[in-house]
Amino acid sequence: MTSLVFLMMEGFMNLISLFFESLIMVGSGQRTGHSDMSFWQRIQPPEDISEHGHLIEWLFNYTTVLNIFFFALVCAGLFGFSYFYSAKRNTKPYYTYGNKKSHILVATAIGLSVFLAIDMNITRMSNNDYVDVFTNWPDEEKEDVFRVQVMAQQWAWNFRYAGKDGVFNSEDDVVVLNELRVPAGKKIVVQMIAKDVIHSLYLPNARRKVDAIPGRITRIWFILNKPGLYDIACAEMCGTYHYRMQAKLTVYEQSEFNEWMAEAETKAIEENDPENLERYWGWTWQKTTRKEISMK
Amino acid sequence: MAFYEQHIHPKPTTFISKYIFSFDHKVIGKQFLWYGILGLGLGGIMALMIRWALAFPGEAFPLIGQFMFPETGGVIPPDTYAMLFTMHGTIMIFYAITPILIGAFGNFCIPLMIGARDMAFPLMNMLSFHLAVLSAALLVISLFVPLGAAASGWTAYPTLSTLIGSPGTGQTFWAVAIFVLGISSTMGAINYITTVITLRAPGMGYFDMPLTVWGLWLTAILNAIFLPVLGAGGLLLVFDRVFGTQFFLAGAAATSGTGDPVLFQHVFWIFGHPEVYILILPAWGMVSDILSFFSRKPAFGAKATALSMTSITILSTLVYGHHMYTTQLSPLLTQTFMTLTMTISIPSAIFFANWLGTLWKGSIRFDTPMLFSLGVVFVFGLGGLTGLYLGTVTTDLYLHDTYFVVGHFHYTMAASVLFGSFAAIYFWMPKMFGKMLNETWGKIHFWLTMLGLNGVFFGMLFIGYAGMHRRLYDPFVYEFLQHLVPINTFITWSAILMGLTQIIFVVNFVHAVFWGKDETDPNPWKVGTLEWTIPSPAPNYNFDKIPVVKCGPHELGNPNLTTGRDFQYQTEELVEA
Repeated sequence: MTSLVFLMMEGFMNLISLFFESLIMVGSGQRTGHSDMSFWQRIQPPEDISEHGHLIEWLFNYTTVLNIFFFALVCAGLFGFSYFYSAKRNTKPYYTYGNKKSHILVATAIGLSVFLAIDMNITRMSNNDYVDVFTNWPDEEKEDVFRVQVMAQQWAWNFRYAGKDGVFNSEDDVVVLNELRVPAGKKIVVQMIAKDVIHSLYLPNARRKVDAIPGRITRIWFILNKPGLYDIACAEMCGTYHYRMQAKLTVYEQSEFNEWMAEAETKAIEENDPENLERYWGWTWQKTTRKEISMK
Repeated sequence: MAFYEQHIHPKPTTFISKYIFSFDHKVIGKQFLWYGILGLGLGGIMALMIRWALAFPGEAFPLIGQFMFPETGGVIPPDTYAMLFTMHGTIMIFYAITPILIGAFGNFCIPLMIGARDMAFPLMNMLSFHLAVLSAALLVISLFVPLGAAASGWTAYPTLSTLIGSPGTGQTFWAVAIFVLGISSTMGAINYITTVITLRAPGMGYFDMPLTVWGLWLTAILNAIFLPVLGAGGLLLVFDRVFGTQFFLAGAAATSGTGDPVLFQHVFWIFGHPEVYILILPAWGMVSDILSFFSRKPAFGAKATALSMTSITILSTLVYGHHMYTTQLSPLLTQTFMTLTMTISIPSAIFFANWLGTLWKGSIRFDTPMLFSLGVVFVFGLGGLTGLYLGTVTTDLYLHDTYFVVGHFHYTMAASVLFGSFAAIYFWMPKMFGKMLNETWGKIHFWLTMLGLNGVFFGMLFIGYAGMHRRLYDPFVYEFLQHLVPINTFITWSAILMGLTQIIFVVNFVHAVFWGKDETDPNPWKVGTLEWTIPSPAPNYNFDKIPVVKCGPHELGNPNLTTGRDFQYQTEELVEA
């Protein structure tokens, strides 16, 4: 019993000391290695390296401005009325059911203004972006796209390039674990499946994610413009080590990429074991064509 | 209008017949209240453990960590972390908020406020609570089975929740517990719907019902329609886990089968989206009433509020697809769900306008129930508006499964619903137990909770926008999240503040119930709805004589009243203004 009390006391003391430690930590940026960052900088999303990420950010900011306006109205009503019509200041309440014509008009006007000014507005913009960009799949018969297949599994990302012959799931495929390397400025189409449970390919620097699901192929396309090394995460809870399901994204200039790819392709031909059936988790590329798009 | 006389049972005399096998809706309400407060405490401690792991990775959890995780020296292990957030969600939704708002206040308020002696089906009412206890027992058992409790999130997406991802029996217990709870809630819902339709006091039309009853009634309708859907989904999951069926298994790799994991998401969210409204509708109704009562004037546009709530009820069934944008629904479905989602803001904005209209030119008294109701207006405003980012598909592509979502849905279904529950507890306390809660401590409780709560959930919006995704044991293995440590620490301290503040409430509540002074005034808030026409605590079978209703529930501040009161009871002839 005494040891129990002692343990609890110790825990309590720890709590208090941690509180002060964290105060100091916030002040000095200890353990974070980002002591020079302001709060404003901390809450910014990761650097946008994609061609179209700004569309999402722009819509976010636009919605925020409208939201602040309408929430300010709510607060003005809430705090303003609370102040001016408190029992102290206003002893005689105004007896009304709020069913006068003017009352109904005002309430309806507020309802419609929220709907038209924010909702239909952002829905229109979002819909335009969605149709014109994010689901506007590149026509693979006419355009030069860069293709990658992904298989997500507990708790790793497998990436597959078609290799020298340009055919997926063949002997010379380049298969990489937890590293996605792509050329900058090119349309990249990714098709993915999951081996065991649902995962979600999350590219914070491109503002995009799409689920990888067992039994079906999901797709995503994007253009990355800024060479560098970035994070890829799994965004869908996929088990105990979900938080470690991390991959690295390397964006190369086209020339550097060609160099790496040539090397990787040669290595694949030399080292791939064609008898190893486990290598053939890929699939025949599901080509998107204009015709298919218009049918959907 | 009561078209049949209710059977009157003799007054229970023994402890068991009075408090355990009771048909009395008031006692069942109290049972649900204790049950829900217990759930709230358990879920709250789990929330603190989750927050602890995020702010101080690798540090032992204080006080109880040493006993719970001796093998790690008090540090929460990653598999336990997954069980914690799964159980936190499950307990808070199904075992805390549902029993408090729907179980406790649904049971307590509906018959009292519509002038009935009891529910339409008292026996079913009792069984509903007993099944809820059984369900909670199953859930508690699941914490102690080998391989631990369910750990696939409260959404339990297959194939993670099938044997592929969760081989332990904990997940099976979870699914069965939810199924049993579904039966319990459906029984309650059928009871509420029938009671409201058949047992309203003579003279009480639907628009003479207090908005609280409207909210509870609409909730019951949604519950009766959609909980069976969840039950079906849970049962199919049990089949997949226990009998080897393949409803949710697909693919040719580790999982093989001819089913579809996305099917479960459809089944889950077709229930899950209405569930949000199931939780919030009673709170909206109560807030609409309480704002009017404490502004001492009739609810502004009460009919419009009721109709707005009704249209939200209908719309809520048509929007669930916005939870599934990232599964790559067909673009046509995506566009449809996005547009339908947005239409919800019309009725929402209308009743927001009505709430503010109620305050406008009122004579506002800031008692604790009123403070909490005003709090609901504030936090639900934030919750509703942040939903817009998630309803639009392109911003959702980035924000989906980040803490932005977590912040948003906690504002709507945790913060608002919690505040609604507290408002209800403080408000109906005298009628339930014949005691008042301490006002001063109530106000301290409100302000500290408000502070902590906004620190937690607004902080979550920030880190979500900064890209931090959900359900991470240690987010800081990612380079792009490392600078978020201080904000996470701040959120955790806010959560600890909020958690500790609830001790004030628990002490206040327990003290009032067991040792509090009896409240002699049967109508301490001076309002005119039917429950305040009878003594406190409400007597056995409520009304000696079934009241006859002659006016609406919000007759306050009529300048032509000559009774010396500033309000009218619903049993009094309406005085023309």
